[in-house]
Amino acid sequence: MSGEGRSRGFLLVVGAVVASLVLVGAYLAAGGSSYEPEKVQDPCKPRPWSNPQGLSEIANQFTVSALDGAACQLGVSREALARALATPEARERFKEKYGITDAKLAKAVRAGLVRAVDDAEEAGALSPLLAVPLRETVQRIPLEQAIELINDAESLLGNVNSFLGPAGDLLEEFLP
Amino acid sequence: MTWVLVSFNLVMALAAVPAALIARRVGPGRAAAVGLAIFAGAGLACGLADSLETLIAARCIQALGGAAAVTAALELLPATVGSEQRATTVWAAAGATGAALGPALGGILTELVSWQSIFLLQVPVALVAAVPILAVAKHEAATGIVSTELRRTGRPHLWANLALAMVSAAIAAALFLLVLLLIEGWRLSPIEAALVVTAMPLAALVGGKLTDFVPDARARAAAGAILVSGGLAGLAFLPKATIALTLPPQILVGIGLALVLSALTETALHGRAPQAIHGGWTISARHAGVVIGLLALTPIFTADIDQQRHDAINAGTAVILDSPINPLLKLDLAERVSERLEEERGKVPTIDPAFEPLPDDPGERSEVQQLQGELQDQLDRGATHAFSTSFILAALLGLIALFPIVLSKEVEL
Repeated sequence: MSGEGRSRGFLLVVGAVVASLVLVGAYLAAGGSSYEPEKVQDPCKPRPWSNPQGLSEIANQFTVSALDGAACQLGVSREALARALATPEARERFKEKYGITDAKLAKAVRAGLVRAVDDAEEAGALSPLLAVPLRETVQRIPLEQAIELINDAESLLGNVNSFLGPAGDLLEEFLP
Repeated sequence: MTWVLVSFNLVMALAAVPAALIARRVGPGRAAAVGLAIFAGAGLACGLADSLETLIAARCIQALGGAAAVTAALELLPATVGSEQRATTVWAAAGATGAALGPALGGILTELVSWQSIFLLQVPVALVAAVPILAVAKHEAATGIVSTELRRTGRPHLWANLALAMVSAAIAAALFLLVLLLIEGWRLSPIEAALVVTAMPLAALVGGKLTDFVPDARARAAAGAILVSGGLAGLAFLPKATIALTLPPQILVGIGLALVLSALTETALHGRAPQAIHGGWTISARHAGVVIGLLALTPIFTADIDQQRHDAINAGTAVILDSPINPLLKLDLAERVSERLEEERGKVPTIDPAFEPLPDDPGERSEVQQLQGELQDQLDRGATHAFSTSFILAALLGLIALFPIVLSKEVEL
């Protein structure tokens, strides 16, 4: 083979190596290998409240804490439980998939609400005077109502007087 | 879909050499004419197939006809193009162009007409190709000229054919996976996906021109395998789910496949006779490579897509739960988004319907729209990532092909 033929072949191979390395290097530098799916956190680990401002933000974090607490009790992810509590059909599918009874689910959801009250109290978002009766009350409510409270924490925290009965009128003023 | 592809390629791989032997015995003109007739008839059956089983059976028969026609064509070409050397080059280039062009044409026809039209269109094309061949077949029948060289068939070129099989596995993965990524992952229509992958055959045309400037077939094969692997690695590390970013890797794969397929085919045929039989070995190696590529990578990316869907459901819910939107809306949205992901099993859907109707409150609507964008971005990146392992493995196959390429004898063409 002629020298020119050889050198052209050599240049072609070198060009191919360079082009490939430049492409892969550029894509890696631009974050081509950095994808990580959003991590699902352990619901049993405490999730600190981020200094909530206003009723809406408190309600938001209350919901997340309640879901964490209930999911931790059931040994499932917070995300799986959240999807399950959205509709009665989703709840049935969830119970069937994880072999969970209504009683077990009710107990877990109540435990979740207690954890949410604890977290809210610890974050200074709920007065201890209000937290104590609220904690007592959520431990006794039926499953449907407990789920409703997780869904609609804003309504619970905004109308705590009607939720707690006559005592609530006295205590409401302690809400921040 | 995988089995429709696998069945055709498997039969082609198994039938190519026997078909070439038959072509030598009965005459290439007659073999090509019969092959094209079978190909056309089976193509019609594919187009009219009312079940997957019928389609697969018809594709197998079509592969038999295809094997006869393609291998016999190599015997017929020297008379048309002037020399055996030129015939080899034209035949090899046609194979490379066909490999690059197939998915693009298939996608366009599927979208504009129907998937059946891909097969129905093959019928007149095969019949038109058969017209000039009939004259050769008639001549063969009249003169009774058939080959007497069957006993003198040399051994196939081991290294070139082995490299062809490996590179073909990588290229099949590139074409198949990229089309799947565009349609199933990024929700492009078949015609949009076809237009995107047109970059590969266009680049293959450029790669074909390089053949004239570099006579060293081994260098061209090595450069081609490196470019195919580089392009596949680029597809594995796409930084964003953006069509424009698929173009540079496609250009590398396109140029690479034109270089490597033609160089290896020429090497496998160089100085060997009869050409049809050695051509049969190259066809066999290429299609066996496609089968290996599809069978090896399909379960990997299927499992990766399943895992990605699972991750996407959890990631989607986590993003929604951690968002500042109203808790009442949160759980409802989380359920609707996961339902969309479940409904579109095996695909990454657009999640827009899960977010409809948008809240009336402008502030809340803006928060929800921002969340929607973040979530769709997560899903698209997840879908892209789901193909990464398969693209990396395909790139490795291309690189492994460098070993037999280096071991193959230096051929100047």
